[in-house]
This record gives sequence, C-alpha cells and structure tokens, in this order.
Amino acid sequence: MRQSPSQFSRWAPFGGAVRQIICTLGRASRLLLSAWVLIYCNHGFLFAEDVHTESRTPFLHNIPLHDAQGRIISPPALLGDDGKPQEAKANPYSTALTCGKCHDYDAISQGWHFNADSGTAKPGRPGEPWILTDPATHTQIPLSYRGWAGTFKPSEVGLSDYQFVTNFARHFPGGGPGEPGKIRGRMAVTGALEIDCLICHQTAGRYDHEARFNALKAENFRWTPTIAAGLGSFASSRSAGSIADSVRPDRPAPATLPAIKYNRDRFDTENNVTFQVSRRSPVNNCYYCHTSQAELGDARWHSDLDVHIKAGLLCVDCHRNGLDHAIVRGYEGEEKDRTITDTAIDLRKQLIRRDNTTISEDDAKKLAKQQLQSEVGKIETLTCRGCHTDGRLGSPRLVHKGLPPIHFEKLTCTACHSGPLPTSEEQVVHTSMAHKLGLPAPERGKNTAPVVIEPVFLRGADGKIGPYKMVWPSFWARLNGNKLTPMLPAEAATNFTLPQIASEDVARDPYNTKPLTDSQIQKALASFSGGLSNGDPVFIAAGKIYRVDKGALNSWEFAAAKPYAWALAHDVRPAAQALGARGCADCHAKDSPMYFATVAARGPVEANAGLRKEMWELRGDDKSVASFFAFTFHFRLLLKCIVFACAFVILGVLLHFGLRGLGAISARAGLAGKDKT
Amino acid sequence: MSRALRKFSCGVLCVSGLFLAFTGIGTFLFGKPPMTHWVLMAHVAVAPLFALGLVAVALTWSDRCQCGGQSSLSALAKALFWVILLAGLVVILSGVLPMTPLFDTTGEHLLYLTHRYSAIVLIGAILLHLPLLALSKDGLNRRDRR
Repeated sequence: MRQSPSQFSRWAPFGGAVRQIICTLGRASRLLLSAWVLIYCNHGFLFAEDVHTESRTPFLHNIPLHDAQGRIISPPALLGDDGKPQEAKANPYSTALTCGKCHDYDAISQGWHFNADSGTAKPGRPGEPWILTDPATHTQIPLSYRGWAGTFKPSEVGLSDYQFVTNFARHFPGGGPGEPGKIRGRMAVTGALEIDCLICHQTAGRYDHEARFNALKAENFRWTPTIAAGLGSFASSRSAGSIADSVRPDRPAPATLPAIKYNRDRFDTENNVTFQVSRRSPVNNCYYCHTSQAELGDARWHSDLDVHIKAGLLCVDCHRNGLDHAIVRGYEGEEKDRTITDTAIDLRKQLIRRDNTTISEDDAKKLAKQQLQSEVGKIETLTCRGCHTDGRLGSPRLVHKGLPPIHFEKLTCTACHSGPLPTSEEQVVHTSMAHKLGLPAPERGKNTAPVVIEPVFLRGADGKIGPYKMVWPSFWARLNGNKLTPMLPAEAATNFTLPQIASEDVARDPYNTKPLTDSQIQKALASFSGGLSNGDPVFIAAGKIYRVDKGALNSWEFAAAKPYAWALAHDVRPAAQALGARGCADCHAKDSPMYFATVAARGPVEANAGLRKEMWELRGDDKSVASFFAFTFHFRLLLKCIVFACAFVILGVLLHFGLRGLGAISARAGLAGKDKT
Repeated sequence: MSRALRKFSCGVLCVSGLFLAFTGIGTFLFGKPPMTHWVLMAHVAVAPLFALGLVAVALTWSDRCQCGGQSSLSALAKALFWVILLAGLVVILSGVLPMTPLFDTTGEHLLYLTHRYSAIVLIGAILLHLPLLALSKDGLNRRDRR
C-alpha cells in the first residue's frame, strides 16, 4: 500500500479548514491531533482509504493532489509576502499517491493493462502486439512481453524497458515497464511513468493526448499525468530527457528538478482539484488505444461502428473488471487463463473477516480463494455466447434459424459477426497501437507501415475458425546457423546503406512506403558493415528471408518471417449483416472468401515478391474438400425435394395402414360387442 | 409387387442404411465427432438413396406387414417393420429439416439429437428385422405366393 496514513483527507469528517491546519503542523502535532479527533468523534478515525460511497452515482472527485513524496500540492499564493505576483509552481502530482489514496494502486497495477511484464500473469489468447515500426529502415517487429508465439520480447531484440516506454507509452497507460520496482538510470531523473488513471476514467473530455505524447517524447515521465490532465505545464525549457543526458550514470540525480506551472483556475479555495471521472470508462477513452479502422482516410464516414456501441452499450459493459483491473477480455475459455493474484485474495480475505469476526486467518484465505475462483467462472457469461444465451443486458437471444449446430462447433461467433465482410482480397486496417491513431500526423494510407490486414480466417487454439488481423514482420537481422537476431532500426541504419527517400518525395510519401526492389535489398545486404562473426546479414520481409549467397540474392519462406495473427472481435455487425444471412453460399461457394480469398504477404517489398496463400492453405485445410463441399450445394435443393417427397410418401403409407389398422380394431371391437349381445 | 422389386428395395435400404450407420454412428464410436469433410459429404450423398429405399420398402412391404394380413411373417417382424418405417421417417425428416430456416438453435439441436437417437433405433430395428425376415416363409428367399 502506498498510502500515507499520516495524511488527512477531506473526506474525513472534519472539513477543509482543519486539514489546512494539519498540513502546516509537524508530524508530532498531527499525531496529537489525530488522537484528539479519535477521542472526539468516538466512532473511530477514518482515513480517505477507509471510506467508500458504494453508490452507482459517480462520486465528485474534488480532491487534493499529492506529489511523489505524498505531500499535498498547494500552489503558492498569487501574491507573495512582498506583494509581488508568484507563479503557481509545484511538484507534479502522483497518481499513485493521489488516486491511490482511496483506490488500491498496488492491486490496480496487477491489472491486464499493466501486468504484461510481471511474468506472473498468464498470457492468454494472443492479442494485438506492439509493433516497433521505422519507415526509414523498413522495420516492423511485433513485440510483446507476454511471449505470444510470433512476437519477440523487447529484450530479445535488444530493447530495454526504458526504450519500450519511450517508443510505446503514447498508447500505454503507464505502470508495468514504466514503473519498475527500482528506479535507476535515466528514470532517476525522468521519474517513473505511473499508471495514468485519467486516460481511461476521465469523462470531462479535457484529457490532452497530444500533450501527453509530447511530454513522453521529452521523457518528462513524472510530469506527464499532470500535463495531460491540463492541470499545468512543464515549467522549464530543459526537458527531463536532456537533464538525464547530462547526468553521468555513476552520479546521483539532481536534487532539484523542474516543477509544474499549475493553472490556478483548476484549484478551488481549499486547494482541491475537481476530476470528472467515472468507474465506467466512456467508449471514446477506450477508442484512443483500441480504434481499429478499416475504412481509411476520408472513407471513415462509411463505418457503422460496432452494433453494441450503437445500441448504447459501453465497452466496459462486457469488458468488466473489479478493483484488480483484471479486465475481462471476453473470449471463450478465458476463465482458464485468469490468474487470481495474492492481492485479490488478500482484499477478499479482509472483507470476509470484516463480516465474520470469528473466522480464522487461514480459513478466510481459503474461503477467499474459493469465492474468487467461483467468480472467475462467471466471466463466461460475458462472452458473446454467454451474453446472448442468457439475454444479459437485453441482448437478443440466439436464434440462428436454419443454421446446423455443427457451425457452433467449427466457428467462433466472430467468424460470421465481426469485422468487415470478407472479400476476395484482404483489407488493410489501421489500429491505434500500430499506427499512432489519435495523434496528429500526416494522413496514413493503405501502405503505411505496419501494414495490418483483416479479416483472415484462421483456426484458433480451440480449433474454431475465426477472423484475425495479421501482420508480417520485417527487419534486418543476423542469421547465425538457425538463430536469427533482429537489429533495431538504429543498428540497421548504421550497418546498412539503405536507399534514401528522395527529398521531393518526402511530402508526398512521408511514411516511405515505396517498396524495396530485389536489387536494392541485395545492395543493402552487400553493404553490411557490422562484421560477419555474429552471423550473416539477412532481411526479413513479407514471409520470406533474403540473403546474398555467392553474389546472388536468394529468398525463401522462413519460419521467423511467418505472420503474426491475433483474433479480431470488433466491430460487430448486426445479425442481418452476418456471414450466412444471405444463405449458405456466403461461405460454401467455389469463390467464397472464407476459403478461397488470397492473402498476399505485405511488407516493404514489391507486391508480387511476397508469399501468396489462400485462406484454406493458411489454415492447413484441404482445398479439394472445400471445393467439393461447395460444389455439393448445387444439389442441396434437389436433396431437400427428394427427401421431403419420400417423407410425404412414407407418411402416407403410415397413415393409410395406421387408419386401416384402427378400422380393423374398431370393427373387431364392434363384432365382439355384437357377439356379447 | 414382384419379389425382385421387394428384394431390391430391401437391399437398397439395408446397404444405404448400413453405410449411413457406418459413417454416422461409426464416427462417434471410432472417429472424431462431429462428422466432417468427406465422411459428411458421403453421408449426405447417400441419404437420398436411403430415403428412396425406405419409400420402396414402404410401398412393397407394408401390405404384407399389416396387422392381421395374409403373411407368414411373425408379429415381431411385422412390428419391427413399422418401427423401421416410423424411425426412418423421423431420421430423414430430422436430417433435412435443419437445412430449412424453420428452427432456431434449440430446435436445430433437438433435431440433431432426434436424428442421432432415431438412427440408432432404426439401425437396431433393421438388424433385428433382417434375420426374422430371412427365417420366415414369406421372407426374402421365398416365392411370391400371390
């Protein structure tokens, strides 16, 4: 727990004036006063972290800010003692010690958005990777701390946690690699990148992502949440990054670091700041990191968005979480991938012991674990199937008239309902994490790296076919035997002479999308100046490896060049626009995209240079089966007619003889009656 | 009806029925359910033949198998015949109805189960009926007395 119990909060029932007095007193005085309050109130002493509203009404967060040392931030008065105007300079606020006063920051920091590098969280179903992209060197490397097959861990490509943060914190909410256990090196100056709660939870629309991005670029990590929240600006012409540059690694960080120049109008008379926040994050906050846009550029207006959003749901209605922020990802079988953390068990144990004072510590822990495991099972009801089976949140129940049940065993729900309708060729999609959406930049096009395509129908770990997004890695590397070591863009730029973009093309093609020709790749590989002791220089792109052997460029399909794919779930289309709504031929036809669409590997090479495969091939299916099965659908109507006609005749025979039998029984019964009379 | 036609209809029904049982029930017993790929296609392709065979059997054998009819077939054989006919009707209808937009997921699943269990009853009845038929005076190898 990072809370400082020596700090009073305004929610303690004593009023702001008392708090102001307390802040000016020393520790001893505060202890005395605390004891007095304890006795005076006669019903216990309440810290901020001990009180909760527990209402569905969002609590008005009119709260004091705390800096990284836990001190309340009080900007100096407008006029000094000498009557001269004073700037409102003070330390940046710390989310861990401001929000963390009431919301257990340690528990939150184990949530899905922050725990990738913890090593304790199960990786779960492969998700969207971070893609290290550099147009100048044609580099695009899928990265993930979670070890998803097909991605590299940052350390595997020589990327430190600090470099990871500088590259990706633009769409990373902080915590994790941004907040290592021990602060050292440059971070002693720049500060840790704490979890910025407001990225997700602010509702005022005042959060400035661009300002955050600029602060991160300058490595002003400690100051970033304050700047992004619009509370103030960085009060120095010299960035933390440049200060860190000037600090020798063996020397301690400077004691005095730049302050924040606060906006006075954000503070009330008691030095509280109002944050408009909600537990239920608005959709647009999620979209900052999770936009997925298949209609590019001006075509965005064609997008219908997700049917759930249109129906008025929020992302967090399904993707829920408790205090531990272990957000529900929403795929089937997720419950097996969930980790119940010790912190969660501890929190639950406290609640159990509160309600049952006689239970022992061990029993409470066991019970807490049982309860949490049972609750994990409930997340199944938040999957597509779970929600639409139970009619949860008013969801229409599953109908699927005329769809044989085998489809539910072979396909995910998303196969028919999510993403753009498949066409004969793959579609390019831009995502926030890959293409820095949400940040101003020259307009991104369909060749802007990294080129991500969708929907590609692949088979998941559960054997079901579903739609995926796909990206092909592209990088310069060393190949030593079978070991491939990717080079970071800076290293590649140093070791290879790469074709430069013509200055007149920069404005037209700011993302350097012109593909490399074979001769350019050969020249670049031949120019390698990094020494051959650690392996031969190679280039990975569009599913192939390129290497110069005896003066000739060779390329072949290579395992490490395989695409990385991750399941897509949104945007969900309404039932009327699902695959199959127009009939079986949506999928079972000789030209059905689900089987026969061509997936051309995309990368910084010429269009026909990469691998091309059809969907059935990517899945490892049998083409003859798919083709013949599609062919049989020509006879489907005939089959139905024959079988119904046969059924009609058989029914006629059964009725005929059945009625005759009844007649005979009736006649015999009549005769028997006559005999008796 | 000629003996040859009766024999032929019975043969078609038995061969197609056993093939369907092999692909259908066999997949559950010896393979990996559910049926897919070539096995499924073969199952569906033979299904109309089975339906036609069932119709032929219904038309050629029902008169002999009616209750109280002039036939040497035992009561059990006759009863099994009607069971075959009834189960066969259920099997073919529960096989083809899921291809129509009439039933929702629950209905489709119910039809799937109905198909499965009625097929088991049908095959059981056929396997019981065949020896009884072979042993009877009026069976497959006897001359038509009419």
